[in-house]
Amino acid sequence: MLPALRLMPYDRLVLLAGRAALRSAGFRRLRAIEPGLRAVPVDPFDFLDCLSTARAAFRDALRTGDTVRASVSGGTKVLADATILAAFQEGVEAWYCDPDPIRLPVLRGVRIEDALSPADRVVARLLSRSLGSEDLVRLGRERGMPRSTVLASLHALRDLGLASVRLESGKAVVAPTPALAAYRAHLARSGGKA
Amino acid sequence: MTVLFGTLGWRPQSLAPSIRSTEGLDGVVFYHSDHAKSRGARAKVVELCRALGVAVTPVELGDAFDLLEIAERIRADVRRAKATGAVLRFNIAGGTRLMSSAALLVCILEGIPATYVHDETLREVPLPLLRITYGERLTPKQREVLAFLLENREKPHTETSLAKALGVHKATMNHHIRELEAKGAIARVRDPEDARALLVRPTPGMELLVG
Repeated sequence: MLPALRLMPYDRLVLLAGRAALRSAGFRRLRAIEPGLRAVPVDPFDFLDCLSTARAAFRDALRTGDTVRASVSGGTKVLADATILAAFQEGVEAWYCDPDPIRLPVLRGVRIEDALSPADRVVARLLSRSLGSEDLVRLGRERGMPRSTVLASLHALRDLGLASVRLESGKAVVAPTPALAAYRAHLARSGGKA
Repeated sequence: MTVLFGTLGWRPQSLAPSIRSTEGLDGVVFYHSDHAKSRGARAKVVELCRALGVAVTPVELGDAFDLLEIAERIRADVRRAKATGAVLRFNIAGGTRLMSSAALLVCILEGIPATYVHDETLREVPLPLLRITYGERLTPKQREVLAFLLENREKPHTETSLAKALGVHKATMNHHIRELEAKGAIARVRDPEDARALLVRPTPGMELLVG
């Protein structure tokens, strides 16, 4: 990560690393250079742990209003990939510096939550199990959503691969896909809602 | 029809679980480097696919470390497969960091369900990934400015020349440029031939995001 430190100017440094790396001589040397360094331990072989930890670290840093950049040059590949995904999800710039800097194409400020409208998020929450499309419409209406809004959101969720629709005895049955379950679990881990 | 895409490094085990677990699998397309160990892994994956009666297309990448080139290649292949109406899946566990990052980027842009395979347990982990349509996060005018810059990237552009080319006032163009710069879509750099002038350039890979 030394090329990244040289190439990317910063005011604060947050380091995501496995516990073994945080006990290493390299880390002690880095701590000596950067006493204000904040170390965040992760399981560097658990993709979802790396993802939720990186996402939480980005959110903490973004809350201060500062510009946030991620360097994914070091660590395990699992940690690097998960950090890239977290960077995409939070609209944070990600860079490889190994040794030349490569900026990953990310639009700053565009977050994963932007993929769903507020109405889509309500319908995603209602879609916790398989149910008839009319039952979904009824649940939506109980929350003040018109039928057309519920159906539009259902279409949006289907287009995103988060909901499936099938015909059973002439009735449309909608169900959450494994992708919705993964997305919901991920947001629950990261403190979001869906 | 279901097609599994994948990135492959030196370990066929990183891709094999997805080949075995994908229901109704008709084809496998995977990317690998020209390294001897990667070619060895390719042979094993091809052998597994043939044993299962699944069509397989290995793709050797010229440069396994050029993220944008890899992403463009994968995206073109994914779009071709999508156009046939196939259901797509992507295993991004293998290959160089840049290969799996490029694959991850394509999965986000194209909304392809992606999985990772745990190194030790070989368990597949579905990634919480949603399609993000970046083009829709820009205003029509910002998209127009960016599209113009991408189409005419060989030529140097200042804010003034952009305003003239797109028929807007300089102040309006300045507003769009600032917004695009804040999003990281463009950068303003000093003109090497005129120290007073700033050139406007799209940042690398922007065509992937808005293309």
